[in-house]
Amino acid sequence: MLESHRGRIFAGLVAVCALAAVAYLLVASHAPQIAPAATKPAHVATRVATLEGTTADARRFLAANGVTHGTIVFRDLDRHDTSNWGRIATAPLATAGNRRLLGTRHCERVYVESGHGLCLAKGGGFGTLYSTEVLDAHFNVLHRIALGGIPSRARISRDGRYGATTTFVSGHSYLTPGKFSTQTLLIDMANGKAIANLERFKVTIDGTLVDKPDVNFWGVTFSPTDSNRFYATLATGGKTHLIEGNIAQRTARALHTNVECPSLSPDGTRIAYKKLVALAPGTPRIWHLHVLDLRTMKDTALAEPGAIDDQAEWLGNKVVVYGSGEEIKAVRADGTGQPVELVAAADSPAVLN
Amino acid sequence: MYQVQNSQALVAVHRRLFARGRTGPLVARTVMLLGLTSLFTDISSEMVSTVLPLYLVYTVGLSPIAYGFIDGLYQGAGALVRVASGFLGDRFGRHKEVAAVGYGLSAFCKLGFLAAGGVVGALSAIIVLDRTGKGIRTAPRDAMISLSTPKEQLGTAFGVHRALDTTGAMIGPLLAFGMLAVAPGRFDAIFFVSFLIALVGLGILTLFVQNKRVDEAVGEEETRPPVSLRSAAGLMKSKTFSIVVALGFVLGLATMSDGFVYVGLQHRIGFETRFLPLLYVGTSLIYMVLAVPVGKLADRYGRMIVFGVGYSLLILLYAAMLLPNVGPTMLVVCILLFGTYYAATDGVLMALASPLLPEETRGSGLALVTTGTTVARLFGSLAFGALWTIAGLNAAVVVFIVALAFALGLTAVLGRRVARVADA
Repeated sequence: MLESHRGRIFAGLVAVCALAAVAYLLVASHAPQIAPAATKPAHVATRVATLEGTTADARRFLAANGVTHGTIVFRDLDRHDTSNWGRIATAPLATAGNRRLLGTRHCERVYVESGHGLCLAKGGGFGTLYSTEVLDAHFNVLHRIALGGIPSRARISRDGRYGATTTFVSGHSYLTPGKFSTQTLLIDMANGKAIANLERFKVTIDGTLVDKPDVNFWGVTFSPTDSNRFYATLATGGKTHLIEGNIAQRTARALHTNVECPSLSPDGTRIAYKKLVALAPGTPRIWHLHVLDLRTMKDTALAEPGAIDDQAEWLGNKVVVYGSGEEIKAVRADGTGQPVELVAAADSPAVLN
Repeated sequence: MYQVQNSQALVAVHRRLFARGRTGPLVARTVMLLGLTSLFTDISSEMVSTVLPLYLVYTVGLSPIAYGFIDGLYQGAGALVRVASGFLGDRFGRHKEVAAVGYGLSAFCKLGFLAAGGVVGALSAIIVLDRTGKGIRTAPRDAMISLSTPKEQLGTAFGVHRALDTTGAMIGPLLAFGMLAVAPGRFDAIFFVSFLIALVGLGILTLFVQNKRVDEAVGEEETRPPVSLRSAAGLMKSKTFSIVVALGFVLGLATMSDGFVYVGLQHRIGFETRFLPLLYVGTSLIYMVLAVPVGKLADRYGRMIVFGVGYSLLILLYAAMLLPNVGPTMLVVCILLFGTYYAATDGVLMALASPLLPEETRGSGLALVTTGTTVARLFGSLAFGALWTIAGLNAAVVVFIVALAFALGLTAVLGRRVARVADA
């Protein structure tokens, strides 16, 4: 083959490849596949059309459990109108015939507390895919912090002083130990600055200082009475621990094992969390919702039968709510009753009392 | 008259000084073409590996634990096939074809990602195949670079190749992020474009690169026995070559993986971890910029010396990990150290080993060196992880500094013997 022939073949190859790439990108950019593909679309499609707030079932359940007011804030997962996918939405908890209200921010995870909000959103500075947006009471962005990694959890202390975010940090392409590690940041809500990374805290398990390469933290929950005090999950050596931390002292100590994504009740006595358990011998371990009483260390399995991967939220002291697939469910915190669907086509619940 | 003569002499001196710059290009055409092949291939593969964690966890819905398992597969698959492909290239004198199989396999795996959808088993298989492709292409490619380059320019040649390779590795992630910005969530578009870019790389290799026929260099009467497994194994009989393999192995044992360097420094940087990607990007940038000049230095002043200096810089980097707090200035120093270390060791090791190997077993020989180093690094990283777990980060770093100093001392002693042959 002559050199000039080869040149022509190569030029043809490059031209075809460039054309194909541009064509594919043009089509792709006009029909963005915003919704993740692997979650049960058939089930959601039938229920999302009305776009109501809480379901009638849920309102009966809430009335039976003494919840008569309050608002729920969540992420709208409307598959019929993808421009609404991931928008912050609010709905009154106990009002019949309500419609959900949509905000302007699109988030991957959202949390609100007493006039402050956190929205873990797509887009950020150079080289980052996501950022944390610190919001005011009207969901306007006050501050923005670049996030290294995929958003997972967000929480704000009752007094609105501190926020906390957890992301999955995906590293570079070389051999990395714990490449898929988590990063948990504490944020000063007043100025939108990260004030501490939990990895820099001095953490003890049974009095021994932890210094291991495989240490990961996630799922912070703040004490309702003292925002300096928090609980979170520490993972090391294949085990998860519930830790109690002190922000001012940058210390934490382990209290209990097999506790992930803890969530403190408003009265500060109990922790709702997900526990890795096998329901029957020989079956794989999956996450189940449990409640741990911090005074007695009594552990109670909740009535939700399915696997749950979320940080639960308390609705008063008797009910916990949580994301399950593409709906928000509610269940009694004492292990009795049955879970009900609270909001269809939604996740990332936060309750405003 | 006198003045004229004088100036003529000056012109002559000038001519001699600049002769190389005027007469020939920096490196052989094959090296340039292989560099471009690697550039396109690295754009393609880094595009995918940048978004793969996102894709697996967010779209496929994989748990991080399952992701960790797949990631392990990803890293482990390449090493084994490397020696085999180096040998096959030697055996049939067809390095180009063997390399093309490797490049082609990885290219078509990008289409495989599209076809696999969310099936985890299929995805794992494609990740392993993709890595196997990388394992196949490395040794024959390095053999072609060294076979098409005069002995005294090997450092420069490998420098040029690694610079182009790293350029591709830097463009890839940017392109992937840019595409996600234009078409959010369209991982299929990334896989498809990645495939097309890999095709361009494969096109450069298959259309323009030619095997150097080893036979041509040999007189016609002299008939050589074909390269057998025995002759490849006989490589280790060469004392200088076995020293290089051994030194690469020992230094590799005392080297922690990049991941540990980044994670270790992360523990020292504090909460500003959003700057952490800069460490990676900065290191690549320094490597890219310095690969050619450092390669030239190696050709000029001795590859063994430059190689040793490179590992000395790594000791300094490890020492920085002992500091209680790494500030912005120190971080820049770390990036400089790490990038320069790569420029002074990665391609230079190939340039160092090449002259010690007969042309007909070049592929097998270079594969032995890289496999030895890679396997040793894997052991080194496992040891580092264990040490960190048992004794803490500081103790682990101190142990590795001592080990690296020992290995470097060994290099200084044994390396002279290698340098006499390699730099002769």
